[in-house]
Amino acid sequence: MNTIIDIFNILLPILYAMLVWFYAKDFLGNQPLHKNIRALLLFPTVAIHLIYLTLRTAAFDHVPITTMFEIMSIISFGVAVVYVSIEYAINVKGTGVFILFLSFLFQIISSLFIEDLIEVKQVLRSRLLGTHVTSALIGYVGLAIAAMYGFLYIMLYHNIKAKRFSTYYLKLPNLEILERMTTISITIGFIFLGIAIAVGIVWLPSAFEQFSYFDPKLVITVCIWILFGVSIMAKRYYGLRGRRFMVLAIAGFMIAFFSLTIGNLYFTDFHNFY
Amino acid sequence: MDLFIIGINHRTAPLEVREKMWLSIDEKRHMLRHCIKHFFSECFVVSTCNRTELYGIVDEKQFPQQSHSSHYQEIQDFFVAYKNFESQLRPENLYKLTSVNAIKHLFRVAAGVDSMVVGDVQILGQIKDDFQLAIDEHTAGTMMHKLLQSALHLGKRVRTETTIMEGAVSVSYAAVELANKIFADFDHRKALLIGAGETGELTAKHLAGRGIGELFITNRTRQKAEELASTIGGSVVEFENFHSMIATVDIIISSVTATEYILTAAQIKNSLKQRRHSPLFIFDIGVPRNIDPGANDIDNVFLNDMDSLSNIVAQNIHKRQLELPKVNELILEELKNIHQWYRSLQVGPTIVDLRNHFENVRREVVSEHINRFSEKEKELVELVTKRIVNKLLHHPTVTLRNGHDETESQKKSRLDLVRSLFGLSGRVHNEEKSETH
Repeated sequence: MNTIIDIFNILLPILYAMLVWFYAKDFLGNQPLHKNIRALLLFPTVAIHLIYLTLRTAAFDHVPITTMFEIMSIISFGVAVVYVSIEYAINVKGTGVFILFLSFLFQIISSLFIEDLIEVKQVLRSRLLGTHVTSALIGYVGLAIAAMYGFLYIMLYHNIKAKRFSTYYLKLPNLEILERMTTISITIGFIFLGIAIAVGIVWLPSAFEQFSYFDPKLVITVCIWILFGVSIMAKRYYGLRGRRFMVLAIAGFMIAFFSLTIGNLYFTDFHNFY
Repeated sequence: MDLFIIGINHRTAPLEVREKMWLSIDEKRHMLRHCIKHFFSECFVVSTCNRTELYGIVDEKQFPQQSHSSHYQEIQDFFVAYKNFESQLRPENLYKLTSVNAIKHLFRVAAGVDSMVVGDVQILGQIKDDFQLAIDEHTAGTMMHKLLQSALHLGKRVRTETTIMEGAVSVSYAAVELANKIFADFDHRKALLIGAGETGELTAKHLAGRGIGELFITNRTRQKAEELASTIGGSVVEFENFHSMIATVDIIISSVTATEYILTAAQIKNSLKQRRHSPLFIFDIGVPRNIDPGANDIDNVFLNDMDSLSNIVAQNIHKRQLELPKVNELILEELKNIHQWYRSLQVGPTIVDLRNHFENVRREVVSEHINRFSEKEKELVELVTKRIVNKLLHHPTVTLRNGHDETESQKKSRLDLVRSLFGLSGRVHNEEKSETH
């Protein structure tokens, strides 16, 4: 099994690199060959990544969340899954190059430095912890992708406003589609963060004696979750849309990113498993 | 291949000549019937607002090579006289092309690079329709089928492999394209046309063509608005009441003559609150401008005037020009393919004869000796002798098919040599022709 894991570990960054390459060629050109190849590669790559993560879990008896480089592979997978969901839901392929580049970046770093750890803390072998961390990661990935689409929206919005009709203008999907993509990404992020919070609240008190509902990471995550939940509601019922919604998506992610970074740096307590 | 073309187009003839030479479907049918009877073994005619062209394969049996020029003159006389317009048609309005130049011309037309606007999308559909007419009239044979199929295939390749057909090249269409960069689809969108100017009308027509959900038309003269509404579909709104529509429509096209803005930035801003900040696309065609330019500074309002859209058009035309080398390469590729096909068609009869000859010899020898074998062995003998013949003929067949670099005379002498060596009956060119037609 370890040989297959090693092969997949080498294969995955190559597959992601190929995907990014063909999505970029398709974005800049108009060759049917590039379209066909990237369409053929997408699902097998994500499937191989899923098999790789499953094999790692089975072989080393823990969900691959025990080191930074294992987590990077999960993030890479999360990005790819969120992107595939969006592409499948909206059938627009013009943004793959921007999103899948993140998958490639995280996976290549992971593949280069990942170690096959057999000995890990007992708590890290918990499947509930695996679900909690994986959901949280996919949730944040959803929010990150929403911010990325928000950024593309703002870029195209200003292109149209300023009458600059560049390659981005020609190749990016229209504003309405970009807004839908952002909404889907935020919704995915909201759902997965919700799962992470729910699992955490149920499981953490039984796993850690020193558990506190005022744990900074928990408080920050719940605040972010509420913020995006309110945004979704505001969009649906109060007409929060267009540029303002995109600014909120970007700002929300930035708040999440910086508050979690600060939380991790200055408020280390039980919510640190390594 | 003796393909001949005679025609006029936007480069050789002004509009008043082109419109006189334009052919209706019945006229095209009649022309095809006449030409197949008197001039060609196969023919096809294409007639659009920018060109009328007659394509034909000259029947070699009826008109040998030496009499081609007089034959072409006859066709020209017929073409010129067809619409009783010969007195106003000047010689420079016409062009005649033959052989490779004619095929190349057909391919350029299908690729949209011979059109008035480079990268014309419509011409491919027009060729397709006119080709169907030739099929219906039984004037399209093997050659014409192959030529037209190659031309249509080329047109599709040009559309998918290059960007020469992309980007709007008229201001009205550019406005619709730009609106499409804001809205994903138009079927649940509403548009308001203020005024009944030509560009505004065209833009509204494009929107209707793209399936706009609802179209409202308003004009100072209600009758004009009603006429337009009946032509392109839509509802008429009183000019005095159009302000109330701003909160509900997604696209506004304005082309009225007014000394002051008919819509101020403040009015648009107020309407946005009512429309819950849903994006609003405004196309101001009026000169002087109808809409306060300050509206473009409002969130989710996209205001465009003639200048900004003319820039898009100029950019798109330039981009299409840059795609020309790619299109020319595709044309060249398709020309090579058709040349290869034509050559394989010429050697085909000789290969068939050669294979038939070997098969006859095999059968003759096998039948002489077959009784010496048992029933089981007979099948084996059949199989083995067939394999021997196939093996023997494989290399000569491949060599005959691959003579792409040879001149016509080299190829002819080689085919003659093969025929005389193996005693194949008939001269090669006679058989080739019977195969071709």
